[in-house]
Amino acid sequence: MEEQVEMVGRAFVEHYYHLFDTQRSSLSSLYHQSSMLTFEGQRLQGVDHICFKLNHLPFDKCHHLISTIDTQPSSSAGGIVVFVSGSLRLAGEEHPLRFSQMFHLMPTLQGSFYVQNDIFRLNYG
Amino acid sequence: MDPDALSKAFVEHYYTTFDTNRAGLANLYQETSMLTFEGQKIQGSQNIVNKLTSLPFQQCKHSITTVDCQPSGPAGGMLVFVSGNLQLAGEQHALKFSQMFHLMPTPQGSFYVYNDIFRLNYA
Repeated sequence: MEEQVEMVGRAFVEHYYHLFDTQRSSLSSLYHQSSMLTFEGQRLQGVDHICFKLNHLPFDKCHHLISTIDTQPSSSAGGIVVFVSGSLRLAGEEHPLRFSQMFHLMPTLQGSFYVQNDIFRLNYG
Repeated sequence: MDPDALSKAFVEHYYTTFDTNRAGLANLYQETSMLTFEGQKIQGSQNIVNKLTSLPFQQCKHSITTVDCQPSGPAGGMLVFVSGNLQLAGEQHALKFSQMFHLMPTPQGSFYVYNDIFRLNYA
């Protein structure tokens, strides 16, 4: 059971950042109307607002490199919490930015997962 | 209590307890609680507190830089995402860390830590 949670978490993270880096608008498939994102302290709710924010970040090309992925089952009905740390390389920038992000994934009726909660923070210093 | 105030209060209480009375963390966890500490998975209040009280340092001080929170769902849970610095006694440079908590309500009207994930942020 624990292994399954870990597998789902890792597969999700790989898929999420791959979409982010190659086809950012497709992230809309991973959020619902109830989803919440806090991006560097700014709060957004709902797939439309979230995707608008992510599609309008002040950079075009980027690449996420993941250092750590930790997963645990969350208490609610098949949910999974995923805690990620890594670096974000922006095209044209010499130094990558370090970040931490947590996702709370909830199962869909079709047997996959969507992002119910998403919190992103850059790690400075 | 408003969720932001609640999460700030929890974070303050958690790290003050950690820094001054680490064994006192036991009443913030239950048998079902899970901690992943730098990749090591531990379950249950007793095992978690054993881990935290046997970390290779005695005196420490957490300073919190950011606290973000979101409600986790209909069960009344709260996700709290923290970043900050951890100063160990005798060490020149503070360690940077990120930590997430998933708090669940108790029947008595307070909260306990159901999920806890801690990671140092290396440069």
